[in-house]
Amino acid sequence: MSILMNNSTRVIVQGITGRIGSIQAHWMLEYGTKVVGGVTPGKGGTIVEGLPVFNSVQEAVKETGANASVFFVPAAFVLDAFMETVDAGVKLIVIVPEHIPVRDVMKMRNYALEKGVFALGPTTPGILVPGVGKMGIMPASMFAPGRVGIISRSGTLSYEFAGILSEKKVGQSTVVGMGADPVVFRNLVDILELFEEDPDTDAVIVVGEVGGEQEEKAAGFIARRMTKPVSVYIAGRHSPQGKRMGHAGAIVRGASGTVAGKHEALRAAGATVLESPIHVLDWAVKHNLK
Amino acid sequence: MRLYEYEALDIFEQNGIPVPRRGVASTMHEALHVAGEIGYPVVLKAQVLVGGRGLAGGVKTASSPDELKEAAEKLLSSDIKGLPVLKILVCEKIEIAKELYLGITIDGYSGKPIVVASTEGGMLIEDTAKTSPEKIASTHIDSSFSFYPYQARALLRRLNISQQLISSWTDVISQLYNVMMRYEALICEINPLAVRPNGGLIAVDAKLEIDDSAISRVRFPLPDRIERIENVLERRGKEIGVTYVDLDGDIGLISSGAGLGMASTDIIGEKMRPANFLETGGGITADLLYKCMELIMMKPGLRAIFINVYGGINPIHEGAKGVVRYIKEHNVKIPIVAKALGNKQEETWEIFRSGGVHVVTDAATEKAIDRLYELVGRG
Repeated sequence: MSILMNNSTRVIVQGITGRIGSIQAHWMLEYGTKVVGGVTPGKGGTIVEGLPVFNSVQEAVKETGANASVFFVPAAFVLDAFMETVDAGVKLIVIVPEHIPVRDVMKMRNYALEKGVFALGPTTPGILVPGVGKMGIMPASMFAPGRVGIISRSGTLSYEFAGILSEKKVGQSTVVGMGADPVVFRNLVDILELFEEDPDTDAVIVVGEVGGEQEEKAAGFIARRMTKPVSVYIAGRHSPQGKRMGHAGAIVRGASGTVAGKHEALRAAGATVLESPIHVLDWAVKHNLK
Repeated sequence: MRLYEYEALDIFEQNGIPVPRRGVASTMHEALHVAGEIGYPVVLKAQVLVGGRGLAGGVKTASSPDELKEAAEKLLSSDIKGLPVLKILVCEKIEIAKELYLGITIDGYSGKPIVVASTEGGMLIEDTAKTSPEKIASTHIDSSFSFYPYQARALLRRLNISQQLISSWTDVISQLYNVMMRYEALICEINPLAVRPNGGLIAVDAKLEIDDSAISRVRFPLPDRIERIENVLERRGKEIGVTYVDLDGDIGLISSGAGLGMASTDIIGEKMRPANFLETGGGITADLLYKCMELIMMKPGLRAIFINVYGGINPIHEGAKGVVRYIKEHNVKIPIVAKALGNKQEETWEIFRSGGVHVVTDAATEKAIDRLYELVGRG
């Protein structure tokens, strides 16, 4: 029915006592997510949105049986909280905050891979499984249950694609934000592989953007391993060279990371290249997706 | 934050890397003074934060004060790829026997720093990778971020060079890696790293880009990050906490995310021309969108504005209040189209409509931009 999250996912919210953490905990609960508690060091024993707040992740896991965590922690404290969460045995971690130093991300990524933890982000809207729950900030009204998987480097564009599909009654199996930083915890290929293996996903949309080489590197995997249809949109064809387009990872350097280069690699791999987001509807009709 | 070459050379020098004698000048007279102290011949290099400077005429040699006057005046009154040359670096001219390449960057895909060395200096490393990959050696640095001289020696042995060169180049790699760690750099590059006739190495160019997210914890003095942004509008964007990129069209844009903003400029660009890219990130308030309106209206000749926002992490109903307040206070007459979806969308639409904003409720940005096109045409 989905990848990464399902009915047995029990979520804690780290940074739940903050302004954004508490509002987002509210929206996640309202969507039906099994949020079981929160963590803010020094605020243990309080209650937010009806949820118990703990001083440590270890305590939260012990008391609530949590197996997943979503972060609304200030960037400077993410490294410490992440290591704590991995050491507490949590196997799925979503890092929503942006502006985390790249060196911290590399440390966290290496540790997570070593410990077999699946982490997403940083700078991710998180994961949403329509009808089941969400970890992160995706606005629920854009999504509908169905059989199309979405992977996006951008938060807002993941909502845009889901919204365009939902409006035409094409639902989604899982929507995953992979993060928009120069280094992210999981590469595009890792998430494509989960969708390829998911019996309840029929096709996958990849929403990329200029910069880096995630899409180019995924082309080989799409050619060799993907049996399901893949369509790809790459944002940023009007991005001037050398300018960072909001996301830390969205920058064209010299000849690398351009829209044209990504299109070429993906077309050669057999993916459908979407010139504009709304063209995803033609692709959905062609593959009879719902 | 990308540093100017003269700033990066200072940092490299402080970390033990040999660099030319030099001085920076913003007038012809200053340049003359620096050259007089160094001695002729000298090389003059335009200080702009853009690649391909040499080919664009930004590097000149002068063998006498007369030649220097002419070259300095020419450079200081020129543009390199649209950027005005405000400063020039005056360097001693180094005699070069061979040019090498050395770069340390972050390999985003593997999530590790990577050291790249090549015996082919002075050109783009991406081009060397295509034409003579055998002249490049690279190695990743593991998660402990420790890099020992033996690893540098092992890397350099793959390039079939003399033992003497391996040993002096190893020193430079260690020094450059120290810069990378101390300054939280994303890119440290010396291209070319010159071999002098006596076999010594010297960095005749320097590139250094620091991780914006880590600037506050760098323990060494750094220049101001915002001051150096040359475009007034882009600098104002940084001051208010949004990303603004100046483009050459006449349709203003406010978006609540980077991907959405890029897609919006792409779609506007199909039939019209975007004046700017602007994304707020997750910090929307009424006050912020008021300031965003102020910022995009600073660009002369705007024909229309497109607002594209999602209520995910952002309270878009608050943002709408700021936009409407600006419209009323400044009596804005150009058409404004807004697409605003997600949490509290109905409330947001109401507020926008109260300010005369055309609200489009479709999910696709293309539909909203079609509406904008109906209102203002191609222009």
